[in-house]
Amino acid sequence: MRHRENKRGISGIFISAATVILVGLLWATPFGGAAASSDTLVVGLVAEPVTFDPPQVTDLNTARAVRRVYEGLTGFIPGTYDIEPALAESWEISDDGTVYTFKLRQGVTFHDGSPFDAEAVKYSMERQINADHPAHASGKYPFAKNYLGNVAAIDAVDSHTVKFTLKEPFAPFLQYLTHLSIRIVSPKALQDWGADIATHPAGTGPYKLAEWQPGVKAVFEANEDYWDGAPSVKKLIFVPIVEAQARLSAITTGEIDLTYDVPAESLDALRGDANVAVLEGLSAHVWYFVLNTRLENPPFNKKLVRQAMNYAVDKEAIVKNILQGTGVAAYTPLSPVYGKTHNKEVRRYDYDPAKAKALLAEAGHPDGFECKFLVPVSGSGMQSPVDMGTYIQANLAAVGIRCEIQTMEWGAYLAEYRNSPQMAAMSWNSTVGDPDYVLYRLFHSGAFPPAWNAGWYQNEKVDAMLGDARKKADPDLRLQLYRDAQKLIVEDAPWIFVDHGSQIVVHNKRVKDFVLSPNFDFKFKKVTLE
Amino acid sequence: MWQYLFKRLLHTIPVLFGVSVLVFGMLHLAPGDPAQILLGPEATADSIAQVREDLGLDKPLVVQYATWMSKMARGDFGRSIVLGREVFPEIWARFKATAILTVTSLIIAVMLGVSAGIVSAVRQYSLFDSIAMLVALAGVSMPLFFTGIVAILAFAMKLRWLPSAGMYSPAGGDLWDLLRHLVLPALTLGTVSAAILARMTRSAMLEIIRQDYVRTARAKGLNERSVIYIHALRNASITIVTVLGMQIGYLLGGSVITEAVFSWPGIGQMMVRAIQARDYPMVQGGVFFVAAMFVFINLLVDVLYAYLDPRIRYR
Repeated sequence: MRHRENKRGISGIFISAATVILVGLLWATPFGGAAASSDTLVVGLVAEPVTFDPPQVTDLNTARAVRRVYEGLTGFIPGTYDIEPALAESWEISDDGTVYTFKLRQGVTFHDGSPFDAEAVKYSMERQINADHPAHASGKYPFAKNYLGNVAAIDAVDSHTVKFTLKEPFAPFLQYLTHLSIRIVSPKALQDWGADIATHPAGTGPYKLAEWQPGVKAVFEANEDYWDGAPSVKKLIFVPIVEAQARLSAITTGEIDLTYDVPAESLDALRGDANVAVLEGLSAHVWYFVLNTRLENPPFNKKLVRQAMNYAVDKEAIVKNILQGTGVAAYTPLSPVYGKTHNKEVRRYDYDPAKAKALLAEAGHPDGFECKFLVPVSGSGMQSPVDMGTYIQANLAAVGIRCEIQTMEWGAYLAEYRNSPQMAAMSWNSTVGDPDYVLYRLFHSGAFPPAWNAGWYQNEKVDAMLGDARKKADPDLRLQLYRDAQKLIVEDAPWIFVDHGSQIVVHNKRVKDFVLSPNFDFKFKKVTLE
Repeated sequence: MWQYLFKRLLHTIPVLFGVSVLVFGMLHLAPGDPAQILLGPEATADSIAQVREDLGLDKPLVVQYATWMSKMARGDFGRSIVLGREVFPEIWARFKATAILTVTSLIIAVMLGVSAGIVSAVRQYSLFDSIAMLVALAGVSMPLFFTGIVAILAFAMKLRWLPSAGMYSPAGGDLWDLLRHLVLPALTLGTVSAAILARMTRSAMLEIIRQDYVRTARAKGLNERSVIYIHALRNASITIVTVLGMQIGYLLGGSVITEAVFSWPGIGQMMVRAIQARDYPMVQGGVFFVAAMFVFINLLVDVLYAYLDPRIRYR
């Protein structure tokens, strides 16, 4: 009787079949070997890296991984936007600002063993801009126009001297050279791998990619031959942990050593945790509502109305209540990380609904008006867009501006954003740390849609200043131009200025000397482990 | 039997064709441009146009569909727009992880659900029955992400028994490491199916144990075990297998959420990212592959019916 029961029991059949399948799958799945050790640091990323080919990197999390492997001619002093030599030891700029001559570092080798020299710089960069280049077909180059569009010629003067001739003088060029998309890739690796360079990177950075299991982890090993000395942390492991709660759990239990974007409400508990440190710092980020200033878009075409909207929004409350302190209120497009360039002496839109009403009345809208604005449900750098949008909707309604919110998924949102909406939320983050990258791209009339001056803002004086500032080599002169331009822009109020998000990194206390970068990068060269 | 199988196999062709048209149509008609999303906010109009051309997105939809289908017919799933890598190996690697998760969840669901259902039916209105059905009701009602996050809070963060994310420890691991990582997501995902199975098994069994032939079996003097496990369960199993077949579909769908909560490197998580990026080849290939798997599993369920109920055979 027993025997028949087992044979016929349907759940028994199912379980045994399923077990067979499971055992088969487990059998077919590879297992890793090494165990965690004292010189290994584990980073929990919000999303996994998608490629290891610098020009194809379009998202921040991938950049955080790929920047470990590749270097540019120039770099940033950790924690700042100040330029320091990287693969170039020194440089000279011609008086007219169009010729940049770089002396390259001697004795540097790529991770694949091939030597780094002037020809490698030329090869790696021309790959992106010259369609006849042998390695051109190995990728897509979305940023080539942004960063190399102004380059007329790249010449290898001798084995370790390279000369860039620009079409027009361009003051932020040294900053632009830090950008990941134009960091130097080994010509030999490009010849060997073609399009598969994306999975077989070879740069000169302090870490080389040792293993990459998509969806599971990316493992980096210290480059023992690094020109600036081998890093102290010998192994870096980046694992994707999508859910904020899971990142929080992993950092508190010590599964990972460093992470970010943990739930804001957990920060107080983390600050009291003896095992972890919470680092907070400003970033170059800005979150805003772009207002369509074109004539055919009343009443947004009236400066008084736009100013009223700025007075109506309680950004300090948004930072405190919605962002729970993970940002600072924005009064200009440039965040305080820009130091002196960030101009505090602009018209200050402090929360003042009475003043907003008065301005609306002065503009001929004593009873306010109706409008519609767009907000994405989530998106790169967008913080808590729907909550923030809803708060702003209530703020505007309090002074009589009755707005309807339309929320959209990020992909659809980006497409809609380019169709000149009346009012829409957006955020901006400058990876290259030059004010030109913010002000020229967002407020110059040369950047009308489909470029990123989405509100069609135009002020001839601002245009002249921003155009002038990108050509002037004198830093003091540039500083003054950007300070003055900010003053005019804020006065014109083409945006509702909302906040600058701060960056918050949580790490285990055994991690020492980790420094936040204004452009959200994670540098490990100087980090040590206890 | 073979003829039956062959006929059923032929039926899958129009289904898969329909799936391909639907997924292609929905994806391409949805707003959002992969080039725009790929290049992000910093992109210029020129570079977007260039990437669209490189990807063949500037061609008419019919041409794009025909190109895709003719490649698929040759087993070429194409290259991912975002990753730049071949689609099929990516799908296959991720599918294995998903399969480990769903099969484990299924085992948990059957073990918990079917046994709880049987006991509940046999001891109707007992304390066990009331508690089991209450738990099952809660299990059916609770959303996966909630159960998942509560499980992380309780077992990973507070008790520190189990890891909260991933399939292996960062430094790599063995089978034991995998099993430890598997417990929370598999339980989270399996609970809902277990709850549904328990309720369905209970009602199917209740209906059957009241039938005349069951009474006859008892009257013959068979012991209760044989009556329940052989006479009643076999007939109830038609319902159970039907529910189970549907649960496999549910588990594959539910794995999307479970994988996101537990960072399980499965196909669900990959598809969510691909959809957000409008990575057409990846989404199309992935949906097509999952649909094909689902059709195949349904075929298996139908064959199982034929085994369980001779009346269905050879029709």
